[in-house]
Amino acid sequence: MGTLQDVIEEHVEGVETLFLFSPSRSFYQQCAEIEDVDVTVLAADNEQGASQFIEFPLDFANVQDRIQFGVEAAVEADYVESGDRVLCAADMLGDGTDTFVVLRVPDAVHTGLYDLFTDSRAEPNVIRDVFELAIELGKKGQKGKPVGALFVVGDAGKVMNKSRPLSYNPFEKSHVHVGDPIVNVMLKEFSRLDGAFVISDSGKIVSSYRYLEPAAEGVDIPKGLGARHMAAGAITRDTNAVAIVLSESDGMVRAFKGGSIVCEVDPEAY
Amino acid sequence: MVASILNPVRLAQFFEIIFSPIIVALVIFLGFIVVGYLIGRVSAQVLTSIGIGEMVEGTTFERTAQGLGSSTVAVMARLTSWFIYGFGALFALHIVGVLDANLLWQQITIFVPRLFVAVLVVIIGIVIGEKAALVIQERLRSVKLPEVTVVAKLTKYSIIFLAALIALGQIGVVTTALVVVLAAYAFGVVFLGGIACKDLLSSGAAGMYLLYHQPYAIGDHVRIGDREGIVQEVGLFVTWVEGEEVEYVIPNNHVFAHGIGRIR
Repeated sequence: MGTLQDVIEEHVEGVETLFLFSPSRSFYQQCAEIEDVDVTVLAADNEQGASQFIEFPLDFANVQDRIQFGVEAAVEADYVESGDRVLCAADMLGDGTDTFVVLRVPDAVHTGLYDLFTDSRAEPNVIRDVFELAIELGKKGQKGKPVGALFVVGDAGKVMNKSRPLSYNPFEKSHVHVGDPIVNVMLKEFSRLDGAFVISDSGKIVSSYRYLEPAAEGVDIPKGLGARHMAAGAITRDTNAVAIVLSESDGMVRAFKGGSIVCEVDPEAY
Repeated sequence: MVASILNPVRLAQFFEIIFSPIIVALVIFLGFIVVGYLIGRVSAQVLTSIGIGEMVEGTTFERTAQGLGSSTVAVMARLTSWFIYGFGALFALHIVGVLDANLLWQQITIFVPRLFVAVLVVIIGIVIGEKAALVIQERLRSVKLPEVTVVAKLTKYSIIFLAALIALGQIGVVTTALVVVLAAYAFGVVFLGGIACKDLLSSGAAGMYLLYHQPYAIGDHVRIGDREGIVQEVGLFVTWVEGEEVEYVIPNNHVFAHGIGRIR
C-alpha cells in the first residue's frame, strides 16, 4: 500500500541540490531551512540575498530554456557537477511555483544558450540589450506593422569585411551604443531599411543597411525560415559574431551562434 | 498784496519753510524716485534694443523669470530703479540729518552700491554662463557623443564660480582663501593627475582625434607600426586590431607615434 507521499519521496531521494527559479520570499525561507540540501536561487536579481545565486540575463518564458541555462550556469559556477540529482522548482503557468522537475546533471552540457551570453566575443550586457531591443521591436512593430530585423553582434571588423553597404551608412561617424536611451527609437526607425545592423563587441552601432555576404554552404537552419535567417546563420558560421533576428513573418526572436539557432523567444509571451 | 509777498520778513519765513531740511529731503527723494523710474524704463529699452532679450533666450534664468511673470530685462531694469530709489532714500535721510556722523550708516551708504554691483555681477554671470553652455552645446552637436555635454556644463559652472568670486569680492568677503583652495585643488588634480595618467592622457587626446575624424573605421585593414590586421573597435584610449592569430590592443598614442597605414 503506497501513498502519494511515498511516490514523491522515491522520486526526490538522493537529491542534494534544490534549484529555485524566481521563488517567492516565503518559499525561499522555507526551502533554506531544509537540512542536507543546497539551495540555489536562479532569477533576474538576487532579492533574497541567497549565497548561491545565478543571474538570468533574460527572462526566459520557456521553462525548458530556464532549466537548461540554469544547469549550465550552475556547472560553470561549481554549484553542481555532472551526475548530481537536482530538484528544480519553477513557475510554469505564471502563478507562483507550480512545477517540480527532477533531473540528473548530464555529462556534457552544451546547449549553447549559456555560451551565447557568457562565451561570445561581445559583452554579455550588449547581447542582452540587443535581445531586449529585438523583443521590444517584435512586440510593438514599427508604426503598428510587424517588422523584421537582423542584428549582428560582435566581431564587427570581420563582419564589415564580409558585407557591403546597400546605401550610405546612417551611423557613419556616430558614436551611439545600444544601451543609450535614445537608441531604441533610432533603431526602430532605421529598421524600416532593409539589411543588417552591425554592432561591435562593446555595443557601438557600426552600421546599418548592410548586405551580408558570407558563404552559406553547410548552414543548417529549419526549412521555412527566410533569407534573413539564412544570412544570420551563415554570418555566425563565418565569423565569431552572434546574430539576433526578429522574424517578420512569425514575429519570433531567434539567436544564432556558430551557424545554428541557439534560442528562440516569443516577444508576445515575454 | 504784492508788497506783502515781497515783504522781506515774509520772504525770509517763506524760504525758511521751503529750504527746511525735511522739505528739501522730500523733494530730493521724490526727484530720485522719478529719475529712478525713468532710468529703469530707459535701461529696459536700451537692454532690449542691444538684444539682451534675445540673447538670454533659452537660459534657465530667463525661464525662471518668465515663470514668475517677468523677464531678465525687466529684472535688471527693476534692480536699477530700486537701487536708485534706495540711494535717494539714503541721501534724503542724510540731508535730514538722521545719518549724521553715524559710522554705521556711512558704511551702509558705501555698502549698498557694492551689493548692487554684486547682485548685477551674479545675474550677468549666471546668464553668460548659461549662454556659453548653450553655444558650446550647439557647436558640439556634430560630435555624436553623449558624454560631450560635460564640457558645456564645466564652462557654465566655471563662469558662475568666477562671477560669484567677483561678487563676494565686491561686498568685501575675503575670497583669497577660496581662490587658494581652488588653485591648490586644480594644481593637485592637473599636475599630479597629469603625471599619473601621462600615457592615458596622451592616448585620450589621440583617441579624441581618432573618434572625431575617423581616419580608419571598424572593418578597415590597417598597419600600425609592425602590427597589422582588421580594426575591431576604436575606443577613447585604445584601438583593438585583429591580426592573424593575435588580437592587438594598441594604445592610441602609439597609433599617433607610428602613423597609420591603411591597406587596400
